[in-house]
Amino acid sequence: MERRMVFTEREEFLSALRDLAREGVSQDRLRVETPFYVHEVDEILPPKPAKVKNFALIGAAGGTVTGFAFTILTSLSWPLIVGGKPIISIPPFLIIAFALTILFGALSTFFGFLLLARLPSVHGFVPKEESGNAFVITVETGETK
Amino acid sequence: MKSAPRTKGGLIGLCVLAGVLVALTQFGPLAKDGGSLLLALLFWATVIEGCVAAVAVGTVIRAKWVASVKRELLSVHPLLLFVSILFLFLVPFVDSYPWMGRKGIWFDKSFFIGRNFALLLFAYLAARRFSIACEREEEGKSSFAILYLFVFVVSQSLMAFDWVMSLMYPWISTLLGGYFFIESLFGGFALSGILYVFLYGRPHPVGETGGRSDMKDLAILLFGFSLLWAGLFYSQFLVIWYGNIPEEVSFLVKRLSSSPLRELTVSILVLYFFIPFFVLLPGRSKTNPYVLFAVSLSVLLGILIERFVFVAPEVPLSPLALGIDFFALLFLFVSFVAKGGAGGRILRA
Amino acid sequence: MDKPDRLAQVEQDVLAAMKRPGTAYLAALGCSATLFLTLLGLWAYQIHTGMGVAGITHPVGWGVYITNFVFWVGIAHSGTLISAVLYLFRARFRTSFNRPAEAMTVFALLVAGLFPLIHLGRSWKFYYLFPYPTQRMLWVNFRSPLIWDVFAVSTYLTVSVVFFYVGLIPDFAIVRRFKEGLGKRIYGVLSLGWTGTRRQWKNYNQLYLFLAAFATPLVASVHSVVSWDFAMSIIPGWHTTIFAPYFVAGAIFSGTAMVITLVVPMRKILVLDRYITDDHFESIAKILLFTSLIVTYAYFVEFGLAFYSGNPFEMEQFRYRALGDYTVMFWIMIFCNSLAPLTLFVRSLRRNVKYLFVLSLLVNVGMWVERFVIIVTALARDFDPYAWGTYTPSFVEIGITLGSFGLFFTAYLVFLKTLPVLSITEIKEHL
Repeated sequence: MERRMVFTEREEFLSALRDLAREGVSQDRLRVETPFYVHEVDEILPPKPAKVKNFALIGAAGGTVTGFAFTILTSLSWPLIVGGKPIISIPPFLIIAFALTILFGALSTFFGFLLLARLPSVHGFVPKEESGNAFVITVETGETK
Repeated sequence: MKSAPRTKGGLIGLCVLAGVLVALTQFGPLAKDGGSLLLALLFWATVIEGCVAAVAVGTVIRAKWVASVKRELLSVHPLLLFVSILFLFLVPFVDSYPWMGRKGIWFDKSFFIGRNFALLLFAYLAARRFSIACEREEEGKSSFAILYLFVFVVSQSLMAFDWVMSLMYPWISTLLGGYFFIESLFGGFALSGILYVFLYGRPHPVGETGGRSDMKDLAILLFGFSLLWAGLFYSQFLVIWYGNIPEEVSFLVKRLSSSPLRELTVSILVLYFFIPFFVLLPGRSKTNPYVLFAVSLSVLLGILIERFVFVAPEVPLSPLALGIDFFALLFLFVSFVAKGGAGGRILRA
Repeated sequence: MDKPDRLAQVEQDVLAAMKRPGTAYLAALGCSATLFLTLLGLWAYQIHTGMGVAGITHPVGWGVYITNFVFWVGIAHSGTLISAVLYLFRARFRTSFNRPAEAMTVFALLVAGLFPLIHLGRSWKFYYLFPYPTQRMLWVNFRSPLIWDVFAVSTYLTVSVVFFYVGLIPDFAIVRRFKEGLGKRIYGVLSLGWTGTRRQWKNYNQLYLFLAAFATPLVASVHSVVSWDFAMSIIPGWHTTIFAPYFVAGAIFSGTAMVITLVVPMRKILVLDRYITDDHFESIAKILLFTSLIVTYAYFVEFGLAFYSGNPFEMEQFRYRALGDYTVMFWIMIFCNSLAPLTLFVRSLRRNVKYLFVLSLLVNVGMWVERFVIIVTALARDFDPYAWGTYTPSFVEIGITLGSFGLFFTAYLVFLKTLPVLSITEIKEHL
């Protein structure tokens, strides 16, 4: 049977969580819902490093490379001297590369988040049970170690 | 000198000795190369004012990391008085500025010397008042911090416009004043980093993560300032490069057309921006004292090389005179910090 | 009050704003919508008749439209400063402002984006600015500041919208709880099915941190790029290195004033005193004062160095700016931007919300006038006296300017009714 424990007080919730962790309930069977981020949860349950930052880094690096590649290659494809500037003029191209770094970085971080957080989750659009301001622990059926 | 002097008299004696040494280089057989003192002062006035400014900024925004190095940073403020007196040694050198002889009160030699000397003096007095307020934990220390910051901004701006920019008269760059005081603040934070590492630097035990720590705050500050500096550098460079106006772009051309200045100019970018930015980007490096020390040193070296690149094409420099002036001030700086850190009630004149 | 009750109280207080609109609200909405329709009407008139109906002509080819563009882009910056930069500094006082500030950013950018289109004349040719190859495989000129604008402002708009939306996700889940029927489904979809699990929160926090880290350099860079529209020219008054930090400080200055202008009445009308306190306003006032000082510093340096350089063109440009045809505008600018904010050194004035509101109106006027003065005086009198001229905005330009405020306030009023006006989740977290 799925056990669903609802707490209105943060401290009760945390102590129940600590008890469950001590009992040796495996992490996969525990689902926690909170109205806001509770950092103690990450201390009680074993930490899982968030991988969102990899998306950020790859996106940003991709943006820089794209920015420079795009501007340099298009300038070389039809080399016109404009305003007396060199064909490959790095100072202006740096601005484009900078803008794309931020743009690709932000977008890839956002999509990475959606992927990692498994959102949008269709069953949550109109959920049957809203936890609201309560702290909820759901323990799924299974063996305790 | 085997150990740092322990008395007020000792420190003053050291200052007098250093002053005599510098005077000898200025007025003696090396007198033709007055630029060396200018360069030494450009570096040290910036760094010393920056140290006090770092504490002032930290006080105003109520930063937490300031408390750990506040006393040491503030202990060097008497050197501002010394620097103002050294500035007077530059009086004969001022004759070689290209605007000498122009009409207008701004170009009057006595006014030039007077205003810069007065500003250095005000900086000393404001720093002193602020330092005393911090020592006594006064309620109004934020106000004195703000007062000092006002004087600091004006002093650094005039250092940029009068000491450096007017060497290339009639070249102007309106950003130079702001650029200099941001660099000064950056240098102050870098010096905070070095002091912090000397005073508290033990590598954190493995596994200690998260949470706020002074070292991490300083690292983040250095990281942010490297970005800010790069933005200002780029703003100035882009406008001058893009306009390509002959009388303005000569500034860049002189410094980018040939070795060794070209390599030195590129090294400025590396020392001020690329090293701090990429080294401090990963989270782990922010709590590593060796990293913080290296980055701080890189920034200070960047300041020195940049000041060199600014003045080298315009003034004669002698390595010997520069060395004497620079190391005299370095020695004084270290002595003051050592004395100040141990319980700085000394130079309360 | 017990903790769980307080959490519920926050929700109630903030969501109370989203109930059925009253007459006052509808009247305000009607006014601003009318102004917006005026903008559309005048724009249609301009497209039909031609650019001659605007006052811009030789030599002042950039007038009120560009002034508005820079003004509105500037206002957007302060919102990002409050939501992103203050987040990185862990400044607590930000939680009461950041939702209205982020909304302000998005709407200001939308308004700003209209102006290059209006200014184009042949607005349907707007796509020329996008980076694509022409029929002959010629790409856009990446060395042009106008193209930099396209990249910078589009990036800023996209990132701001994403940041705004991300901040709203947990709040949408809260609103979803209170709605029924179609409303519940709409907010449910908008909330992406958010339930607040540990996996969701962990990734969300990192996402928010990185978005804040990405948005922060935008605060400085976007308005720097906009300032380089002017600084890349060589005319006196525009070609000066200080423009980038000067414009950024000015942007934050005018944006902060607009935040005050928006939040003071909002707090009063929606009764949010418990969440937006006088302490918060004092912190915002300090930002206002600080940026005003930077702008004043820039004025001093620009004028000082122009005369110091002995360059006759620079000297005449700045003499003209202060004492020439636009001298009234110039002194309004000095009073509103440099002198009036000095009163904020007095602590009691910083905490006087009515005074802050009046001052913020002055600053909004002053900063608009500043953009106007910079743009118009430099173009009116550059190198060649034969090419000197003046500029007077026509009724079309003035009408469109007022209409832009109408668009902004319409969007803001709609925001007040459809989205939670404060960041409920963040307030709960810090209770």
